[in-house]
Amino acid sequence: MSGHSPIPGLFFSLLTPSATRFGPRLGNVLLKRDEQTEIQIQTPSYLASTSRGVIPHLSRDHYASSGIRWVNIPFESFLDVLPPVPTLVDGKNSLHTFLGYSLGQHVVSMAVRDPADGREMPPNGNAHVAAYSLRGVRKVTPTEWKSYVYSCKPDIVFALADIPLTHPPYSQKRLTKSIERSASWLASLISPLPNNKYRPSVLVHMAGTTSVPARRAFAESLIEKLFGPEAETIKPLQTLDQGVTGYTFDLIPIRLSLEAAEKRHQDPFYPPAESIPPTPPPTIDSAPTPLSEVNLDPTIPAHTDQLSPLLQASLEPLSTTKLRLVNSVQTPHEILRLISSVGIDIFDAHWAQRAGDVGVALDFTFPAPSSHSPALKARENNKLDIGHNLYCSSYTHDFSAFGSASCGCRACSPVAPATRIYHGVDDPSFSGESSTIPSQAPAEPRVKPSFSRAYAHHLLHTHEMSAHSLLVLHNLSVLDQFFGGIRTLLQDRPEKWDQEVKRFEEIYDEELKVFEEARVMWRDVDLARGKGRLVREKAKQEEGTLGTAVEL
Amino acid sequence: MQFEVIAKCKTTKARVSRMTLSHGVTMLPTFMPVATQAAIKGLTPEQVESLGVTLILNNTYHLNLRPGLKVLNEVGGAHKFQGWERNLLTDSGGFQLVSLSKFTTITEEGALFASPFTGEPTMLTPEESISIQHAIGADIIMQLDDVVSSLTTGPRVEEAMERSVRWLDRCTAHHEQSGKKDRQNLFAIVQGGLDPGLRDRCLDAMIQRKNDVAGYAIGGLSGGEEKDTFWRIIKQCADKLPEDRPRYSMGIGFAEDLLVCVALGVDMADCVFPTRTARFGVALTHSGPLNLKLNKHARDFDPIDKNCPCPTCSGKTSRAILHHTTTHETSAAHAITLHNITFQAQVMGRARAAIIAGTFPEYLRKFFSDYFGDAGYPEWCVNALRSVGVDLLEGKDLKLIPGSGAKWEYSDAS
Repeated sequence: MSGHSPIPGLFFSLLTPSATRFGPRLGNVLLKRDEQTEIQIQTPSYLASTSRGVIPHLSRDHYASSGIRWVNIPFESFLDVLPPVPTLVDGKNSLHTFLGYSLGQHVVSMAVRDPADGREMPPNGNAHVAAYSLRGVRKVTPTEWKSYVYSCKPDIVFALADIPLTHPPYSQKRLTKSIERSASWLASLISPLPNNKYRPSVLVHMAGTTSVPARRAFAESLIEKLFGPEAETIKPLQTLDQGVTGYTFDLIPIRLSLEAAEKRHQDPFYPPAESIPPTPPPTIDSAPTPLSEVNLDPTIPAHTDQLSPLLQASLEPLSTTKLRLVNSVQTPHEILRLISSVGIDIFDAHWAQRAGDVGVALDFTFPAPSSHSPALKARENNKLDIGHNLYCSSYTHDFSAFGSASCGCRACSPVAPATRIYHGVDDPSFSGESSTIPSQAPAEPRVKPSFSRAYAHHLLHTHEMSAHSLLVLHNLSVLDQFFGGIRTLLQDRPEKWDQEVKRFEEIYDEELKVFEEARVMWRDVDLARGKGRLVREKAKQEEGTLGTAVEL
Repeated sequence: MQFEVIAKCKTTKARVSRMTLSHGVTMLPTFMPVATQAAIKGLTPEQVESLGVTLILNNTYHLNLRPGLKVLNEVGGAHKFQGWERNLLTDSGGFQLVSLSKFTTITEEGALFASPFTGEPTMLTPEESISIQHAIGADIIMQLDDVVSSLTTGPRVEEAMERSVRWLDRCTAHHEQSGKKDRQNLFAIVQGGLDPGLRDRCLDAMIQRKNDVAGYAIGGLSGGEEKDTFWRIIKQCADKLPEDRPRYSMGIGFAEDLLVCVALGVDMADCVFPTRTARFGVALTHSGPLNLKLNKHARDFDPIDKNCPCPTCSGKTSRAILHHTTTHETSAAHAITLHNITFQAQVMGRARAAIIAGTFPEYLRKFFSDYFGDAGYPEWCVNALRSVGVDLLEGKDLKLIPGSGAKWEYSDAS
């Protein structure tokens, strides 16, 4: 188990073994696809979330220019008509081919459910997970999941896991079932298929929800040597852990459960009190916000400080050398804390992509800037926003780039196309224009001026899709640089880590008020596309006629 | 503007020309995609440029409301605002006043309408329309015309036509004084409804003013009139308009309409159709439109068109993934929009190449044969092209479809 992975192809290695089991750590994900192609992802880093197989708002020609290295595909959207369409694609890399990801740039992982979806679901069964498709709930059995995986051949697969998404809280019996099913479904996935060269790299979701003993029990079941028929299933492996590349945590079900516990801590059905980490004194004003009724994308209270003990309980018995991944993180603050207290390697980018959906251009760095950037709005708590709500009328005349720092994304540094399509009698011999790039010279891309906040503001208010393309490109780039900053600090000055995390938390607002405000304005524009829309916008503009009134 | 006709079709009235504006060369005939709000829906200007598009359209009415002139003046015009480095055309805003506002009253002074913000009466005069277009800074700007629906009949049509001529004079005078003439080119808009007599008078009056205008648009069409009337008016105008000015047919976007107009002597056209239909999942191809929402495409792993050079097709995006994402994910709209804009450019590019090669009639016959197949040709296209010496039915036994005859992929066609 130590040293080399039993699965050829994908390797995770720690560059600086962390001093403690749960401290911040630097690592490397190496995907060796074949002799010529390999992808490396330095960790800590992120993966991009997808919807219906695509990265929301990006064109395929944007995939290459963005820094995205890992995309995760929730498979459930393909379950509306069986067999799922991606399983019908021929070839060695059918998921890459079908969805347009690059073999040389993108690690593609596949999960049955969207980890960002916390909607209540019908209960899972002994032999199925309830998944959501456009045509309703679908049951997915471990056998079906394995056949989908072997047809689609993703680089990484999330094992089917029994994550309860019925109404919390969950009885001890329910948690026991969840652990047993998750382990048994994992066994069925890692048992090798005869006569098949493909071996999936498997991540296992750490079961046990909010119960420390249950989480510990599940982790221990992974390293137990199996006997009898179970041992037969996974032969030649001896333990389940030998068949997995890493451990994953979906935070939404944990948060929902913690939230339920907080609301009904008197409830006799609730798991014994000692198994739940104590709620730390609230640092965040948790009073219900009046915005909640218009919040189409509800944030579940984060409970960040209660998460670490739970994640630690799962990892405690296990090897420190395997990949640790967290889905549905909500803030950069939370990322830093989970790196500090657990040593997580990969986080999903869903929150940052979603920010682009609602008109927020992220603008933060790690380490935090030493001098306060006046461009960012400071809140009552004297903390800075982590981004700009570009719906806000204060950006109407702001011609600066989305972020304060220089940014290489295609929104902040658009690159003039080096080539164009000719359609007939429009090439340089007819137009007399020289082609953009002299044929001999190496293509030196020409960087154009950045798109401005004012332009994005305009596009958002006119309900133009291009706004979201630009914002998602930018936000993923800011996130990429954030992780770059994390790795550099861990590499060069690890002793400064705790201090810099603290400073980041002091400088940037974690309540994400800017997101809430943006969501309200996003909804207004989204819902008001018909008559009277401009009148409503006018009423909301405090500055009266600035820029938007009719100047005829 | 430099405008130079470099080849003419020996059979039809089609021609190839080179139009040089402040932001580069555009080869004509061409189709102009519409970026109403200063963005081609969902795309970046870099993407649009890489498709080989050299001229797009912005709408004056919309940009005047948002972002507004103050913003456009501060940033130095719409090119800079949207990051578009090639040529740009703006309409005058007159059409939207009529199509988007119920309360517009036309007076001799200008168009009086209710402000969409405050409801207060607001006046758009020809001078102001030109001033707004100066602030936007497009390479081609349009006169304010008195637009009436193409279905209007009676004295109002004549009044609108005559007023459009008077407003042209006010527009040219205002443009003349502005000092922007070297970078911005004013086009006149021929009006006159569906009445050939009125069209003739309008043409005469506007051709007299040729020295003040850089080109001519044919307006007041594409408003639900009979196709048979439509082509006859286009032909009448194109025949009479001066050789040495570009001719722009407003609001034309179906492939068969484009090719008929080109054959009648039109150089430019614009329409929201290819970009709008893309958002509903319709991909345009040389063998007719594909409705990717239909289940028959759910397991089709071919691209929209194997021979298409657009990023969607050359990147092998399958019909199946487009079916899976269309109308759910904006990226499906991006992908099909990239394709449809390329398709329009291909239709026009092949027309240019055929005109130069002297094979334009053959191209027309091949296009209609590929596009409509055995389903029959729209009768009006056959008649229109016969009027310029091309018989689409030569050697064919096909039925003629009355009405618009536009081709569509319906669900029962699978």
